[in-house]
Amino acid sequence: MQAKFSVYRKEPGAHSKPGRSTYTVELADDATVMDALLKIRDEQDPTLGFRGSCLHGYCGDCTVRVNGKAAFSCTARVAPLAAKGGEIAVEPIRNMPVVKDLISDWDAFLWEKIDSTKPWMEPKDADGAAEPQIDDKLMARVRQAMSCNYCGLCDEGCTVLPVDFKFVGPAALTKASRFLFDPRDQATAERLRILERPKGMWDCVHCFEASEHCPREIAPTERIVEMRDEAFKRGITNEKVARHHLSFAASVKRSGWLDEGRLAIESEGLTNVSGLMKLLPTAAKAIARGKAPIPYLHPKRPGADRIARIIEKAEAKEK
Amino acid sequence: MQEFDVVVVGGGAAGLRAAIAAKQAGAKVALLSKVHPLRTNTALAQGGINAPLGADDSPEAYAGDILAAGDGLCDPAVVQSFALAAADAVMWLERMGTPFNRGADGRFDRRRFGSNSRARSLYVDDRTGHVVMQVLYEQFQRAGIPLFADWFVTSLVIDSARCVGVTALGLRSGTMDGFAARAVILATGGFTRMYLPSTVSMGTTGDGQNLAYQAGVPLMNLEMVQFHPLVYPGGNALMISEAVLAEGGQIVAGGQPIANLAGATRDKICMAIQQAARDGAAVALDLTMIGGQRLRARFPQTVELLRTVAGLDATKDSIPIRPVAHRPVGGIETTIAGQTPMHGLFACGECACNGLNGAGRLAGNILTEAVVFGARAGEAAAAYAKAASAPSFPAERLEEEKKRLEALVSTDKCEDTAGHIHAELGALMDRNAGAIRDAAGLQAARDRIHALKERYARLRVRNQSAIYNYDLVAYLELGSMLNLAEALVVAAAARKESRGAHRRSDFPARDDRTGISHTVVTMVQGAPQADTRAVVAL
Ligand code: SF4
Repeated sequence: MQAKFSVYRKEPGAHSKPGRSTYTVELADDATVMDALLKIRDEQDPTLGFRGSCLHGYCGDCTVRVNGKAAFSCTARVAPLAAKGGEIAVEPIRNMPVVKDLISDWDAFLWEKIDSTKPWMEPKDADGAAEPQIDDKLMARVRQAMSCNYCGLCDEGCTVLPVDFKFVGPAALTKASRFLFDPRDQATAERLRILERPKGMWDCVHCFEASEHCPREIAPTERIVEMRDEAFKRGITNEKVARHHLSFAASVKRSGWLDEGRLAIESEGLTNVSGLMKLLPTAAKAIARGKAPIPYLHPKRPGADRIARIIEKAEAKEK
Repeated sequence: MQEFDVVVVGGGAAGLRAAIAAKQAGAKVALLSKVHPLRTNTALAQGGINAPLGADDSPEAYAGDILAAGDGLCDPAVVQSFALAAADAVMWLERMGTPFNRGADGRFDRRRFGSNSRARSLYVDDRTGHVVMQVLYEQFQRAGIPLFADWFVTSLVIDSARCVGVTALGLRSGTMDGFAARAVILATGGFTRMYLPSTVSMGTTGDGQNLAYQAGVPLMNLEMVQFHPLVYPGGNALMISEAVLAEGGQIVAGGQPIANLAGATRDKICMAIQQAARDGAAVALDLTMIGGQRLRARFPQTVELLRTVAGLDATKDSIPIRPVAHRPVGGIETTIAGQTPMHGLFACGECACNGLNGAGRLAGNILTEAVVFGARAGEAAAAYAKAASAPSFPAERLEEEKKRLEALVSTDKCEDTAGHIHAELGALMDRNAGAIRDAAGLQAARDRIHALKERYARLRVRNQSAIYNYDLVAYLELGSMLNLAEALVVAAAARKESRGAHRRSDFPARDDRTGISHTVVTMVQGAPQADTRAVVAL
């Protein structure tokens, strides 16, 4: 099979202009995009930069965009793409700095962010010898979070990172969530305190893009929500959090569903001008993508009045 | 130039465990790895991690199974010590947060697979290695050990017959640096990328073994290469854990299940598949009897990868399989503490050979070995560093090494490529040094490798850019593979019998008159020289 590739190129250094190179390669019928890249580097262009390691879809090192869709180049097969005719476009994943060609800066966008979350267990009982009995349902949750292969696709889909690269991001938060329900850890409270800081878990706008992008069905957004719940339960919360929750409740009570624009604004605080300015790019992008309606012009959903009554009942009960 | 007490080369399970242990023993440690620790070949170990923790189990029973799999070549003292240490080493992983699967009573669920006589493999779905690797990396970070990820070690620095550090190339910065060390631990993993197809990651090219070999350190039992019986050979070769057999999966030849494979060693299963294929039968793996729901729950990753890579539905389709080169059993000769015959040089994990496995490795042992012997090598290296004098890293060595690498780069026209030489080497090794070998094939392989090495000597690196020069990395890795392939073929020719993972069609029987000894290959004046080493009886 013959296939034509158009590959993103960029020399190291902040000022170099990105470009593209095209290559035509002869490949076996079951070849993957990784096979093609290896062949190109070997036979046509030794300067082409890309990453890869396990070759079996386990390790997440070779994540790229193929024809605009995120993929592991080691498991993405060329044949169906070549069958469509035309050039196969290979690009680095979006939203993150590129060191060279298809080599993204994993240090900056993933490893250093993970490092900042105290991503290890502080064991309660480091030296015990007896086999502890732990409910496997708890362990299953840990296993789910740990099936993450650090592919970065949740970060790629994230709507906050493009406007605020300092946000810790869903991949690092997923990593941190792995300790949340583990009875063996004694640093959960400390970790939640780290994560409640600005750029941490409360900066997530739960647009659910991370969950849609995760190839492992880890649902990073849900992991972040769980982590916030746990923080709330433990009384680990800051002002912004409280505002966030109050706004959330008020929005649902008024219209029956969530006014995300209002939530973001009220969470920042109506008098916090610099915080509000920061939201503008995200909001503009979200509105452009049809992800968020204009704040406060939120239409009521059908049955909103009944939802309001439920909330009122619950509020009365709490009192 | 940087200076440490202990420098660990390799970021997989064994390297991480060694670094943690050395740090805990008080040493100033650094770890260098050509890929990030979370991208290493450790992630590919699926099935489980052995520890004799069951009420029906004991270190003695465990040792018995290891000795049986080793087919007469194990060092019994090493086996005994390992079997006694395994439970604690695995429990340490549990304490540090490994989410092993548990039964209804909250205790470890254990699989029995391969030729284990008990259910003794703890597991984490079908991602045991991937998760154990993460736990080890977490604890490595907790210990605050400096990590040099994307650093490729290009040479060992030897001074007065002692290893005093390494030179390494920072792939990201494109700069060379020297790392002086009182002790160096090699933990670079296996080398079976010299075979194609192969189950391992791209970087599993035996760089550490080659560094030791070139420094005159013997390589032991290289002829013992494990083949994985259950590999879908298409694409990049997709391996399916033998744990599926324990769960009810069946190997079928020409539509009929192959009998008598329950509890068989890996070697036996490979032989049976190879034999059936030679008889002209299509061999496949049938997982349908496990049941769709159970299969998806127990082997989620396998089901997913078969779908994406092979387009197969494991709950309905049968899966074509063949044995594919998997892991070396042999490697750098070391003591039980990881000490090589070279002063200041240690090795652990898959790149090392300390006599535990003899001629074959018990299924489920690879991760246990990494944590048991990783920790021991880390402790031993730290103790050595404490007693040793400061390393005298010769200043000119770094300059020499820079010049050597620079001289490799040339834009002169050259039709040959590293990829072509690797493809030929891989096919050659699969055919002539595969699961079944003979004298003529091994001799032919040796001649061909010689010719490939001549081509390699003329080959140049064409990428002149310093940053992430993977053209250079591929060149250096190919050099490692060619050297080790030659040594392997020499070792395989020297063992004129069939034992464990080493099968000779011209010497089909085990020969206890001549066979009970280790094969060692040493580089003498640039050429491999085979010798034997007596197996120490208890
Ligand atoms: S959580 Fe999912 S998308 Fe995010 S890095 Fe992990 S595997 Fe990738």
